[in-house]
Amino acid sequence: MLTINLFNGLVYGALLIVMCSGLALIYGLRRVVNFAHGSLYMMGAYLGYTIALNSNFWVALVAAPAVMALFGVLLDRYGFRLLQDRDPLTVVLVTFGLLLVIEDMVQTIWGKSNLSVAAPQALAFSVDLAGTPVPAYRIGVIVVGLCVAVGLTMWLRFSKVGLFVRAASTDPVTTSMQGVNTDLLSAGVVGLGTALAGLAGVVAAPFLSLSPSMSADVIIDSFVVVVIGGLGSLAGAFIAAMLLGMVQAVGAVYLPDTAVLLPFVFMVAVLIWKPAGFAGSRT
Amino acid sequence: MTMNRSLLASALALLLGVGVVSVVSSGTVLSLFTQAIVYAVFALGIGVLLKQNGMVSFGHALYFGSAGYLLGILLQLQVASAETIIVWTLLIITVVGFVFGLIIVRVPGVAFGMLTLAIGQMFYLTASRARGFTGGADGMNIDWPSTLFGFPVSQILKPGAMFLICWTTLVVVMFLVAWLLRSRFGAITEAVRDNEERARFIGISTLLPRALVYALSALITSISGVLSALNTGFVSPENLHWSLSGMTLMMVVVGGFKVLWGPALGAVVYFIFKDILGDYASHWMTIFGVVLIAVIVFSPTGIAGALMSWISGKPAADQPTARGH
Repeated sequence: MLTINLFNGLVYGALLIVMCSGLALIYGLRRVVNFAHGSLYMMGAYLGYTIALNSNFWVALVAAPAVMALFGVLLDRYGFRLLQDRDPLTVVLVTFGLLLVIEDMVQTIWGKSNLSVAAPQALAFSVDLAGTPVPAYRIGVIVVGLCVAVGLTMWLRFSKVGLFVRAASTDPVTTSMQGVNTDLLSAGVVGLGTALAGLAGVVAAPFLSLSPSMSADVIIDSFVVVVIGGLGSLAGAFIAAMLLGMVQAVGAVYLPDTAVLLPFVFMVAVLIWKPAGFAGSRT
Repeated sequence: MTMNRSLLASALALLLGVGVVSVVSSGTVLSLFTQAIVYAVFALGIGVLLKQNGMVSFGHALYFGSAGYLLGILLQLQVASAETIIVWTLLIITVVGFVFGLIIVRVPGVAFGMLTLAIGQMFYLTASRARGFTGGADGMNIDWPSTLFGFPVSQILKPGAMFLICWTTLVVVMFLVAWLLRSRFGAITEAVRDNEERARFIGISTLLPRALVYALSALITSISGVLSALNTGFVSPENLHWSLSGMTLMMVVVGGFKVLWGPALGAVVYFIFKDILGDYASHWMTIFGVVLIAVIVFSPTGIAGALMSWISGKPAADQPTARGH
């Protein structure tokens, strides 16, 4: 019981890593807390559903995030860039308006009933984990989470573009004076963040059902993660995502009735101890 | 506005309420107005927090729904008379709001909004899963006694009387808040909002005033929760859901939060707009999403701000926009 729950905690933590790295990247560069991030995740999942229906899951895994990336670039170019001199609260409310529009759009196109996506054939077997069989697909989810975490960290730390991103996250004005095209950079990063939300959606589709409420569930947990981790901090978000996954997993075993509340109790506890989160907020 | 002028405005507003009841005979229209006024009080709660603390709450349905639930549970247990229970409900919610405030107003900027969202959702989940008292996802009926404050409840529930009660509550609450914010308390909270560091330098404790404003906004919102419980006789987890907080926040922003009557205006505009839309209401989320974006981008001070600048002849852009810390 505990093994399988811990394993599922890892899976959910990995999914949150993919979600929250997108949120943190966008916040880092644009100082925008994207309330529509959960809706973008949902959009990715539903797009993945349609693509998987017409071809196969692997195509969806690549194509849906690609479409979302394009959407993200447009969102930055015609949304965030035009609003960059506005007060952060304004932009938050704009993303809230966007959330309403996307939710309605998804419900109109795909309906309100639950949909499901089959796990790909190649991963439709079970692996024995300490005496408990676990679906191989879920191990795949953990691998995706790890790849995103390691890949992003490497990219930010060792590549030249990564250096630009880190510089622009700290001081966009000085960075652009040094000759970095921060508008292009932001468009790229928002595109990447949105693609990650889409990727999380496609990856989640085979083990969480698709429904119009899927965005609300995940965005709340993602917010808990990025607030606990410290807004805009990738490392903080990775740690917090895994912790949250574990807290929920252990809670489901020992406190089945109150497990849904644990993330929030956890968050309140962390914020009393450290109001700016693990990594310290960069507001 | 000076004290006398706001007294005068409040008296005129009360007369206007009586006027509306005597002119409008249609029960449906009065019910629509009543609903709008209940949400106007709710929006005022969020608006006070935004105006006085500069903080956006995405989880104020917490106080709206909790007031209904607390009232319903206490009435069910018959611990005291209904009148006492109403007072107790408001007091308990205010104290809880104050304690929450002490913890969460320390969280800076946008993270505060995310935190309120999470706490609100926590209560939503609790209410929809707990079976015993709250009736779970089905919600619970509120057992009002046959008389309330000496009036038979059947009389109170008539559309005209209900509208007058809600309208009078709105006017009185708004007057009291205006009076409170003109006092030293108002000046201190504004100082803390505009520059917390400088306020600390001149010896003002910055945590307490902000927590008090948060508690005040919780109290106002819980009043709207009680009004809603009286109006509908029912409370369900939907009353706690974040989408309700979000829609009400939208009313605040669209109405304009720089003046106290802005959020109330936003609520009334919202309900009239929604009623007119009627047939298109299945796409109301898209419509309101687009309206919200348009208002924020083109008129950050909302309808109230646009009206004020139109009257005074100054462009709206001169007015400062909301600030996040």
